[in-house]
Amino acid sequence: MNTLRHILAVTSISLRAIPQRLGPSLVVVVGMACVVAVTISILSMSSGFMRTMRSTGRADRAIVLSRNAQDEGASTITRDNVPVIADAPGIRTAEDGKPIVSADSLAYVAVTKKANGLDAYLDVRGMGPGGFALHPELRLINGRMFRPATHELIVGRSAQRLFAGLEVGDKVPLSDGDWTVTGTFESGGGALESTILVDAETLLSGLRANSFKSMTVMLRDPALFDRFKSALTSNPTLAVDVLRENDYLAVQARDLNRFLKIVASLIGGVMGLGALFGALNTLYSAVSTRATEIATLRVFGFGAGAILTSILAEALLLSLLGALIGATAAWLAFNGDLHTAGSLVFRLSVTPALAGAGIGFACALGLLGGLLPALRAARLPVAVALRDG
Amino acid sequence: MDGSRAIRDHNQVKYLPLLWAGLWRKPVRTVLTLLSIVVAFVLFGILAGIDAGFDQTLKASRLDRLFTDSRFGAPMQFSYAAQIARVPGVALVAPRRGLGGYYRDPKDGMGVICIDERFFALRPEITITPAQLAALRHTRTGAVIGLYLHNKYGWKVGDRIPLTTQTLRVDGSKVWTFDIVGIVDDANYPGQAGWFLGNYEYLDEASASDKGSTDRFLVRIKDPQRAVQIGRQIDRLFANSAAPTRTTSEQSQAQSGLQYIGDMNLFIHAVVGAVFFMLLFVTGNTMLQSARERVGEFAVLKTLGFTDNTVVALVIAEAVLLCLVAALLGLLTAKLAIPLTRPLIEDFVSLLQTNWSDALRGFALALIVAILSSLYPAWRMRQLSIVSALARR
Repeated sequence: MNTLRHILAVTSISLRAIPQRLGPSLVVVVGMACVVAVTISILSMSSGFMRTMRSTGRADRAIVLSRNAQDEGASTITRDNVPVIADAPGIRTAEDGKPIVSADSLAYVAVTKKANGLDAYLDVRGMGPGGFALHPELRLINGRMFRPATHELIVGRSAQRLFAGLEVGDKVPLSDGDWTVTGTFESGGGALESTILVDAETLLSGLRANSFKSMTVMLRDPALFDRFKSALTSNPTLAVDVLRENDYLAVQARDLNRFLKIVASLIGGVMGLGALFGALNTLYSAVSTRATEIATLRVFGFGAGAILTSILAEALLLSLLGALIGATAAWLAFNGDLHTAGSLVFRLSVTPALAGAGIGFACALGLLGGLLPALRAARLPVAVALRDG
Repeated sequence: MDGSRAIRDHNQVKYLPLLWAGLWRKPVRTVLTLLSIVVAFVLFGILAGIDAGFDQTLKASRLDRLFTDSRFGAPMQFSYAAQIARVPGVALVAPRRGLGGYYRDPKDGMGVICIDERFFALRPEITITPAQLAALRHTRTGAVIGLYLHNKYGWKVGDRIPLTTQTLRVDGSKVWTFDIVGIVDDANYPGQAGWFLGNYEYLDEASASDKGSTDRFLVRIKDPQRAVQIGRQIDRLFANSAAPTRTTSEQSQAQSGLQYIGDMNLFIHAVVGAVFFMLLFVTGNTMLQSARERVGEFAVLKTLGFTDNTVVALVIAEAVLLCLVAALLGLLTAKLAIPLTRPLIEDFVSLLQTNWSDALRGFALALIVAILSSLYPAWRMRQLSIVSALARR
């Protein structure tokens, strides 16, 4: 109890003296603020990207690709395959008794970014008639649906916002001439919002192609995935891989996500090291300017532990303050900003978890930076300190 | 002698011991400050490396090289090449077709670009010898690989490399085997070239479908100024065909391609800004503390006849010395560290380059930080009145 009182007393003394050591204290605050702001900003790309990917996938959807194709681009699902896959067990049926599936074709179209006039390639996805039942998250927010067998398309909300020439009524040059934008859709923030949707058969005939890229099905229950998968993989007439939609998207997102994480930890780590040296410097100088004061406290009977704790508390508090400033700055500057990677549009997202991690990192750095000076303060030989002061 | 005149007399070397003694007055503080600055410059070095990588990508891409790609993904006919070659202003056309697959691990994707000899005329940066070229032409299943693949997989001339692909062969297999006949390098990215180049003929004859198709034509034009018009003319040729084209210059493609990893450039500059903001505080604080502790010493110097300006110069020079030494250490560390980080970001290897012009920028930055952070302490020492400073002792 006594120790606790001592700790509180010494800590409040050192905290109240901070205004007298404003310059050095600011070094810690500014250092931590910069580290946290930068690290969180970079990670907000990764978390925004992952959030978009997560809201794209559903546990009860599965995607079928040709065997060993790493993505839809490299995959081929022939016309003969389509009814075989649609007949597999576990697929949910619509009210009309038809299985909820879509065989998709893919193309791309070159578009111009409104902000800087640079090119980007936008995915054009041809969906089967079951596409809308398969993607209940799709919602038309403007205009009307495309009609099959005509050159009509609908545009995702994010794509429309970022790229030029995609307003309702605009003509988009696709295969076989111009296609008209008839509507805008949203998909709850998912990756589809960065694409153009058209009718699969119309797109195929425009491309003069005859096979689909992938097939997506809705399962009656996520637990039926294994049954569905084994039915397809054991079928000798098919050579396909079956993946849960979430797993497929996670693999697709892996590279960019990994890159961002590496960049964030590299930069955050190096900056953290710099901030750590700054904190060490500040607290060493705090200890050395307060040597007489600390020695006097020791003479009055305050324990070494109380002194040590008070220095650590000061380090922690300054770091926490800096981290809060940094996190707030990152949130104000970037949260919700639209960002593109290729043609995929996502919002940077500074989540509470991310802010928490940043603040935790700064506090750990602060404690680490405070530890050595605190030990020195606790071990200060009283007589020497009093004589030299 | 007047102190400031001494500096003008190029005798300033004699002040070095004084500067040095001033810096090492409190070794712990100096070392910690030095380390903070070193760290900042390590980061600067790495970020400048990424920046230089972006620049290199743009520089390596040529304005006189156009790419004719399929506008919507439908395969283009090989015969387009002859039609493109007839467009006025076109010097050379090289068709290619990619073969995507993997070697051993499906997750370890590998692309073979199948070409004929025209390709090398369009990509002179590939260092292929006439003997290698002859070997490639005479070996139907031959392939030349870049130094990077040679180093990564240990493939040598004479090795047979099987690649599993999605492209069906006439014999019903999806495994394509290539015989390595040469190892080449890329002058733009020495040691980092991942080229895997095979014969178009082999791919076309042995594949079961898409015969006579290509996925890109490389086009050399005579006048880079006319890139846009020539591109339009080429695209007009095929506008009403089954596979309309889209022709862009390599440079504009590179610009768009760099966006793929997002607007990283913006972030890089923001980070550099934040780091140096932080650095100003760290160094400024150290300089201020150190000057404050030495008020008495500076008063003595002034008593000895050092002018106000010399004292200012001394304070600033101390900061400059500290920052330049730290910048040197930091940039060296970055230079040594960058090759170590390459394996981490294998796919982005070419985006990390080091060059010495960045080092110069680094030193300039160090100078700016040093001067900005020591201005205030220097001004304080200049204002110092000898009498009151000495009286305080």
